[in-house]
This record gives sequence, C-alpha cells and structure tokens, in this order.
Amino acid sequence: MDGRVTISELEKVYGEGPERTKAIEDLSFEVEGGEFVSVVGPSGCGKSTLLYLIAGFLDTTSGTIAVDDTPISGPGTDRGVVFQDYALFPWRTVFENVTYGLEENDIPKEERQSIAQKYIDLVDLDGFEDKYPKELSGGMKQRVGIARTLAYEPKILLMDEPFGALDQPLREALQDQLRDIWDDLGKTIVFITHDVEEAVYLSERVLIMTRHPGTRKSVAEIDLDRSRTREEIVTSDEFAQYKNSVWRSLHEETQTEVTL
Amino acid sequence: MRHATSQRIEALPAPVQGIAQTILDWIPLGIVVVLWELVSGTVVAESILPPPTAVSSLLVELVVTGEVFSHLFISLFRIAVGLGLSILIGVLLGIGMARSDPVEDFFDIFLSMTYPIPKTALVPLAILWLGVGTETAILIVFLACLLPIVLNAYNAANDVNQSLVWAAQMMGTDERSMLYKVVFPATIPEIMTGVRQAVPIAFVALVSAELIASNQGIGYLILTSGQIGNYPRMFANIVIISAVAFVAVRGFEEVRNRVLVWT
Repeated sequence: MDGRVTISELEKVYGEGPERTKAIEDLSFEVEGGEFVSVVGPSGCGKSTLLYLIAGFLDTTSGTIAVDDTPISGPGTDRGVVFQDYALFPWRTVFENVTYGLEENDIPKEERQSIAQKYIDLVDLDGFEDKYPKELSGGMKQRVGIARTLAYEPKILLMDEPFGALDQPLREALQDQLRDIWDDLGKTIVFITHDVEEAVYLSERVLIMTRHPGTRKSVAEIDLDRSRTREEIVTSDEFAQYKNSVWRSLHEETQTEVTL
Repeated sequence: MRHATSQRIEALPAPVQGIAQTILDWIPLGIVVVLWELVSGTVVAESILPPPTAVSSLLVELVVTGEVFSHLFISLFRIAVGLGLSILIGVLLGIGMARSDPVEDFFDIFLSMTYPIPKTALVPLAILWLGVGTETAILIVFLACLLPIVLNAYNAANDVNQSLVWAAQMMGTDERSMLYKVVFPATIPEIMTGVRQAVPIAFVALVSAELIASNQGIGYLILTSGQIGNYPRMFANIVIISAVAFVAVRGFEEVRNRVLVWT
C-alpha cells in the first residue's frame, strides 16, 4: 500500500555555535502505508520538529526521509498537515479554504466544488460553507482544517496535536470522527500528541520518544478490537494495559527530566 | 465620563441609541460654535473672528454659486492621485521589504532618514522640480502618505503566521505566488489601518502644499481669502475642507469595514 514513510538515521540541529541545539538524534522508524501511528514524548522532545521534517517544511541536518522509497525534498501534495493552530486562511470562507489545494493543483472548477462539498459533508460542516473561520468554534475550525487537507487527497496525513486546544467531549467526538475517516479513506496517519490515552485509542502503533534530543525510545503495538464502542474500548482491561505500558515508558523519560 | 454616559445610553431602546450617541458626539462642537458666536463682535473684534452666522452665509454662497466646486474637485483629484500612488507603492514596498532582504537593505536607510522630516518642508524643493501646481501637490501628498502605509504593510508582512505559509506550501503554492495568495491577503487589515492613518495626513499635506504652491484648490482659496482680508470666506473654506476630510475618513472606515468582514 502506498504512503509508506521511511525515516533513516535522522538528525536535526537548530542554530550554530553556542546556540546549537540538537532536536532529533539518530532516529530511524518506518510507518507502513495506511498505518495509523501516534508519536508521544515529553515536551521538547522534537515530536513537532519530526512532523515538520516529514512535511518538508524544515530541512534535515543529516539522514533521510522517504515516501514510498523516494527521498523527500521540501513540501509535496503527497503529504498533508493538520496544524495545531488550524492555520485556516481567515480571508477565505470554509468552502474557499477547502478548495484552496484544489485550485493550486488546477482541478477544474466544477470538480473542485463537488470534491470540496464531499469533504465538508464528511466532517459534518454542511451549512457552514459560507462562514469565515472567525465565525467558527475551535472544533469546527479543526474540522475545516481536516477537510481542507483531505480535499487534495494526500496519501499521508501529518497531524500536530490537532485536538490539543479542544475540551474533552469535543476531543473525543473528533477522535471518533478521525477514526471513521481513517477507516473509510485508508490514509497513512502520523499523529503527534502528548495525551497517552488519545494515542492508544487512535493508533495501531505508538512511537515513544526520549526527551531532548529526541530519538526512538520504544514502540508499542496496539491491538484493540475496534468494532466496539468507545465506552467498551476505554473501559476494557487491554486498553488499560496498553495505556499503562505507554505511560510507564513515557514516565521514565519525564522522571529523567525531573532528576536533571 | 464617557463611560458613564455610554452606560446611560445603553439603557435606552435600541433604535434611539444611535441617534442619542450621535447627538452626544456633536454636542461639544455645538457648544464651541455657540460660544464663538457670542464672543465674536463682543470680546474679539468681528474683523478678526467672524461669527459662525457670517461664515455660514458665505459658505452657502460659495456652494450655491458653485465657486468652491472647481477648486474642491482639483483638491480631491490631487488627493486621489497622491494617496492612490502611495497605497500602490507603499504596499509593494512594505511587502517587498518584509519578504526580501536585498529590498529591505536598499530602502531601509531612505525610510529611516526621511521619517522625521515633515513632508511639507519639501514643498519648495518640489516647486523647483515640478513647478507650481498639481504635480507638486500630488508629490507632497504621496510622500506624506507613503510612510504610514509602508510601515503597516511591512510589519504585517513580517508577522504573517508561519503555519499559513506552510499550509499553502503543502498544497502546492510556490514561492512567488505565495506573495499574492497568502502574504498580501494576510496583510490587508494592517494595510487598511495604514490607509486610515494616511487619509487625514493627505488632507494636511494637500492644504499645506496648496497654500504655497498652487493657483487652484481649497488651500489656495484659504490663502487668497486671507490675503484680501475676507475672513468669513477664509473660515468658510476651512469649514468646507474640514467637513470633506471628515466625510472622507468616515467613508473610508465604512469601506474598510465592508472589505474586512472576515476579521
């Protein structure tokens, strides 16, 4: 399946001389095509940096990132980012935000409109097409962000703590919506979060990163029966076990932070 | 004070609120006009401070005979061209300086050096280059309006949210179209702020230029009325240009609010 991300011996250094800080060190990891992987780690572990490197917004210091065996060089429409701060264009309506990527890729107007409508419906925003982002709540804005990124059909979704600013019930609703979208569309998803429960609930694998400089600490395979309801899943023993093991692994890192 | 009165206004029914606020806003002006009328001819000689009644009858005369309109149109034309040019060039320069280091390095010194100079001090030089008339007035208006627009556009273009630029990049926007697809629209609110600051400045610069270097225009009318000792006529022209400037600012604010529905 397309959409495989291969990260090899990745290193990212910011600044020069005494300002020099190593954000990511010797990270190798592979995300399978169509897989849902979450990345958790203590704050400052470089997980957002990792996401922006995969997106191609930042240059690697050394090592390579490849999508389906082709090393990336800069941003490309095979990857789509969902930003923590939504990054919607405030001067464009919901509809115009969703069509932006389609305009940029020269999709004819009629096709643009039907594709945009499809994804607006998918995130339950029909009726809000002509609203400006300022008129929307945080949760709605992020749904526009997701629709905008899905609309130009990237193979890989890169999500940077997309629900971090939302309150708990809304987060859960959007998590379920994202799971459904993933089931339907079969995208590769790399999901950054600091919320262990969110990571375990959503993903097939969780990459736990060490604290500064960030690298791979451990990887947890999550094998949950997803056909059940949220309540059945989160109250199950296996869910608790997965959560505890990820939490423990992460906690060792935060402990290190405290003793330092 | 303002706070107390606005609270009282909020207690009124909605349709009356606007009218009440407008009346309140104009009361200070009314008081001054009444005092002016009382003082003129009593405390101060009428020849130096003509009463509002005399000024308004001349004002009516200027308007009814149509005498003022040819001058007013020339003045407004000069403002439109000067301000229009300053918006066009100011936006290009501001965004250019923010997004390109060579452009910034080149123009920075000129902006820093010309910033403290009152642009009306350049009128004699402008006369030398362009002669007495429209070109000089346009140049002075243009120079006076340029800086607020450049500075606002520059600051805003520097502060464009990085994730907006990234979002456009990931969807396929290249470096060059980024300027008009993302940077320019993101900068529009601050450009509007710059133009809002520039509109009254344009009137100041225009009248100053016309007082020195013009045979037409409202500034010229003010000057010549004063020179022949017709002070009611001079005041009437001052009132006219003030009213026009006031309407221009309010009109622009209305346009701005419509353009910026998304902010």
